[in-house]
Amino acid sequence: MIVKEWCMYCGECAGVCPRCLIEVREISLIFNEEGCKDCGICVSSCPVNALTKEE
Amino acid sequence: MKLIETDVLVIGAGPAGSSTAKHAALNGANVILLDKKSEIGAPKRCAEGVSKEGLKKLGIKPSCRWVTKELSGVRLVSPNGTDVWMKEDIVKLPEAGYILERKVFDKFMAMDAARAGATIMIKTLARGMRKDFDSYIVSCESMGEDFEIKARIVVGADGPESRVGRWGGLKTAVKPKDMESGIQFEMIGVEMDDPDCIEFYFGSVAPGGYAWIFPKGDDIANVGLGIVSTQTDKSAYEHLLKFVANCPATKNAQPVELNIGGDPVGGMVKTLVSDNIMIVGDAAGHVNPLTGGGIITALEAGKYAGEVAAAAIKEGDYSGERLKEYQDICKEEIGDSFEKYLKTKDYMSSLTDADLDSIAKAFKDTEFENVSTSELVKLLIKVSPKALLKLGKLF
Ligand SMILES: Cc1cc2nc3c(=O)[nH]c(=O)nc-3n(C[C@H](O)[C@H](O)[C@H](O)COP(=O)(O)OP(=O)(O)OC[C@H]3O[C@@H](n4cnc5c(N)ncnc54)[C@H](O)[C@@H]3O)c2cc1C
Repeated sequence: MIVKEWCMYCGECAGVCPRCLIEVREISLIFNEEGCKDCGICVSSCPVNALTKEE
Repeated sequence: MKLIETDVLVIGAGPAGSSTAKHAALNGANVILLDKKSEIGAPKRCAEGVSKEGLKKLGIKPSCRWVTKELSGVRLVSPNGTDVWMKEDIVKLPEAGYILERKVFDKFMAMDAARAGATIMIKTLARGMRKDFDSYIVSCESMGEDFEIKARIVVGADGPESRVGRWGGLKTAVKPKDMESGIQFEMIGVEMDDPDCIEFYFGSVAPGGYAWIFPKGDDIANVGLGIVSTQTDKSAYEHLLKFVANCPATKNAQPVELNIGGDPVGGMVKTLVSDNIMIVGDAAGHVNPLTGGGIITALEAGKYAGEVAAAAIKEGDYSGERLKEYQDICKEEIGDSFEKYLKTKDYMSSLTDADLDSIAKAFKDTEFENVSTSELVKLLIKVSPKALLKLGKLF
């Protein structure tokens, strides 16, 4: 996952991630990429479009 | 690795966690309250409206250090600009309230917990946990140091992220359709018709939610909106920019702060406890599904959670069965009323801008005596045959 510089670490993505894979730190996000099934829910729920999938 | 032992570990020092910690400590438990933030309460993710009645019921005395504005009315605005005013000098507003300064308020609530005897750890992140007989061991990290906390009862008060509950096997993941994406500017230069009233804007300005202007004194206001991402192709931010550009009150206003955050509006989570674990606040769905308000319910649920946790510690019984007392209280005091607000929210989402305009027109011609959220829904049922069909039995 690419986290854009304007991410504000609000944690909405972590709340909707069905597999509980996103750790929201005060000023960084850590994705457990191994468990990710590419459902895209975190990407579309971000209030400021700060997440994009790696190509 | 360093291991700290405690009776109750509360993860998250928002209103829910601070209230839980305070009441557990007041009732004799050893309590640790931790938060990953370097400043409790900041950044705020909230429009900061609370009811006076709600604070009073909880015995929290308003302080001039965290009340920015006392409100005396409400203005509801439909898509074509038809507005309905309800002011305290004419109608009773049992839910009338204050606009807070949450950065200060949240900190004050944590201070209350500390005064009650809880130990506070800031800039401390909980990273996961494992069961250890009749307790949990939680992995923590603070300023580069890893350590563990062993607790008889872990309380997940971690807000909309709601991961702690899932670590303990509870089903707290929020479905995308139940997560309100909130976004807000705090602005200056806001020109409101009446800066003592809060304003709500309905319709396609905010698909799945509504937009708001909550005055904070002088020409300052929180201007924001909530959307449901499954109901629009645009981001919450794009919706906000459009709203601010088009709303007469904010034409000349400028932002001094940007706030974002998720608000779980799917109703209360079914199971709030299991052996050695409880969840509270946003993490437990303690948010009114219609209004998105969760400050008072977080504080209230925290009180119940703290009291039950302390009693369980005294009895030496931290089983899910013992802790279920908390879940039963929450269901009765909070969860049951959410069911009907959830149905109302679904109904509201189904309305077109034209429907909303005609409802607003009918509201405008009605004389109000007593206005609360449930009274408003009752009125909605009166003026809209469709609402009668869907909600008539509930209110
Ligand atoms: C845009 C917006 C506007 C809103 N407006 C209103 C309003 O006007 N009125 C109202 O009543 N409600 C409003 N709400 C809802 C309200 O903000 C929440 O219901 C309330 O903050 C819930 O309190 P809480 O204690 O459960 O969670 P939070 O206040 O979110 O606190 C959770 C805390 O847990 C911490 N945390 C999370 N994970 C960890 C971890 N792993 N380790 C350590 N710490 C952790 C976080 O840092 C945070 O401090 C709004 C919400 C949004 C998004």
